Amino acid sequence: MRSVRRRLALPAIALSVLAVGCAVTERAMPEDADTPRWTSRAIPEARGDFRVLPDGRRAAIRYKGWTPADFGAFRTYAYDDARPEPAVLGATIPAGLSGDATKGRVLFLDRAKGPCTGCHLVPGDDVWPAGSVGPDLSTIGDRRLPDPYLYQLLWDPRVVYPNTAMPPWGATGVLTPEELVHLVAYLQTLRAPLPPERDADRNPFTRKTPVGFGDGLDPTNNPAVLLAEDAQAQWEEKGPAGRACADCHPGGAERAMRGVATRYPKHLKAYGRVMSLEDFLEAHGPETTGRPYAAESADNLTMTMLVKMASNGLPVTLDTASPEARAAIARGRATFAKRVGQRNHSCADCHTRDGGAGKFLGGRLLADARDGLTRHLPTWRTSQGEVWDLRKRVQWCMTPLGTNMLAADAVEYAELELYLTTFDDGKPLRVPGIRH
Amino acid sequence: MSDLGKVRIRVPSSIKPGDVVQVRTLVIHPMERIERDAQGKIIPKTYNYITRVVVTYLGKTVVAFDTTQSVSENPFFSFAFRATDPGPLSVEFHDTTGGRYEGKVDITFA
Amino acid sequence: MRGSSTMTRRRMLETLGVIGAAAASGALTAPARARAQQLGLNESVDDAMKRVFGRRPIKDGASLIKLDLPLIAENGAVVPVSVRVDSPMTPTSYVKHIYIVADKNRIPVVTRVTLTPAAGQAFMGVNIRLGDTGDVRAIVEQSDGTLWQVAREVKVTVGGCGG
Repeated sequence: MRSVRRRLALPAIALSVLAVGCAVTERAMPEDADTPRWTSRAIPEARGDFRVLPDGRRAAIRYKGWTPADFGAFRTYAYDDARPEPAVLGATIPAGLSGDATKGRVLFLDRAKGPCTGCHLVPGDDVWPAGSVGPDLSTIGDRRLPDPYLYQLLWDPRVVYPNTAMPPWGATGVLTPEELVHLVAYLQTLRAPLPPERDADRNPFTRKTPVGFGDGLDPTNNPAVLLAEDAQAQWEEKGPAGRACADCHPGGAERAMRGVATRYPKHLKAYGRVMSLEDFLEAHGPETTGRPYAAESADNLTMTMLVKMASNGLPVTLDTASPEARAAIARGRATFAKRVGQRNHSCADCHTRDGGAGKFLGGRLLADARDGLTRHLPTWRTSQGEVWDLRKRVQWCMTPLGTNMLAADAVEYAELELYLTTFDDGKPLRVPGIRH
Repeated sequence: MSDLGKVRIRVPSSIKPGDVVQVRTLVIHPMERIERDAQGKIIPKTYNYITRVVVTYLGKTVVAFDTTQSVSENPFFSFAFRATDPGPLSVEFHDTTGGRYEGKVDITFA
Repeated sequence: MRGSSTMTRRRMLETLGVIGAAAASGALTAPARARAQQLGLNESVDDAMKRVFGRRPIKDGASLIKLDLPLIAENGAVVPVSVRVDSPMTPTSYVKHIYIVADKNRIPVVTRVTLTPAAGQAFMGVNIRLGDTGDVRAIVEQSDGTLWQVAREVKVTVGGCGG
């Protein structure tokens, strides 16, 4: 089994050097680690790689339009990243700083900073869209909290609330002491009486819930259905190795693949790891038809959709009982709860009822992982005009939170996906979805 | 972009003579938006977007849309027509680069 | 994409027409294109309304026009809009045009739908882009030239942290 893994890994390494030139792979799992290892074969921008700039700094290689910022100072989801959360430290207002409430309000609303309004409501018609994950701060000034206390809450709220979902804004350097002082001055000005609310939707506690984007399976509503047809053609076409998918899986993709996707992600002995369907295609394609199906490539996403669509309507039937599955689900659960990145967030902070689930983060209503988040993936994203799978969604989610993403085909993501899919066990697949 | 110009048309599964039928249609198209340079100046170039959608039934134009860059990427349109006779219904999309994409369905009566 | 490397003079003029930087677009000959180019200009909504409807009176169409759209759009890239007009569709009296106008867009006029009595029903739907929170109008022109209008505000939201 080990030799199989080695043989597979070699060409992928060669490819990665060719494709990204001076890229450096962020981490290497020790040979004797008890968690599986995998060398990414994802497309270059999906590998979590870096290039070294002439001045020695690292720039992340990410998808087009994503920040190249390196968040290497903060811990990630990597299993070999055993760094602790940032230390909880008390803070005092530096001498000589005085707060300007007007500047504080600008900072509170600045989308390039928090934005604080992503979680907290404050007065003003220009406050849109405010979120409801954190408490409504519209009259916090009336609580007459001392400035040093508010400063501490902003600097690192864990001093007061150890399990808070609020980031340690000062401790991890998102906001400077001067900025925090301005914010404190602004918060102190928030006093009753409030002006009458002219618009119920401004307030996230009374805002209407979003209506969604209609039927994902309707080809005149969801462009992803049309894109999936590209894979239908590829199913019948011989690849570089002289074979087509249809040669080994006769009867058409819809019949031959019926039920297959309901069992993913799953542990595959041949590869010694849990694989999402996307991961499996990336390994299986080169071995059979000779097509690469690199993670996050169009071929991988469309073929994943085609195979999953063949199981639409069938219930998810995961292996949750084997020792490998149980260990992987436990690791996935730990990842879900692990606080990572500059903002020190976990998935659970936003996607459980104890955290933000059911509340607005800015204009987005946060979903509860326990309701099942996986059965529509890959999904069309109307805001992006692209098909995204779960791994890209997680990579995207983490980036503005100040966390270096892992490779899309990382074991960590597959096991997180397996854990999330356990909440969909027994429920019917419905691919592709259509979302914001 | 091998998918450019793919068209889908959806009509109700059962149509009776004389019915007013609502039709849905979608075309894969970038509907390029105006781009600006660092100074905020519009970059002059031929932006590729659909300017006209023509619905033809039994050889006659029933409905037409003139469209601008304020229509979404991969645009969706719906419209109605009165199904008087069996025959072809076509939807034709024209873009600013001379591209012409057509979808067709045969209207039959149950 | 196609044709981008060979920009003809006419295409250049059309492009300039789109961005409102040249008044030369009126000289275009291709009828369908010229009409479409003139439909979508980079202008204010007031200018767009004056340009398209002149000084013609526009009546309140609330009792006639059903404008269906989400009051909160999860993103501005895809906002489904549909319009149904309570009107006969006979050769002597029918709805000739339905316009969709998005007040806050840089190109406010979204589409002009031309209907014939063969449509059987004055109905249209389209997915539109909205640059910002603002009114979306449906303007209906009947075969006798009468204009009616309804408007509804759509609020465009964004996420809390870029996702």
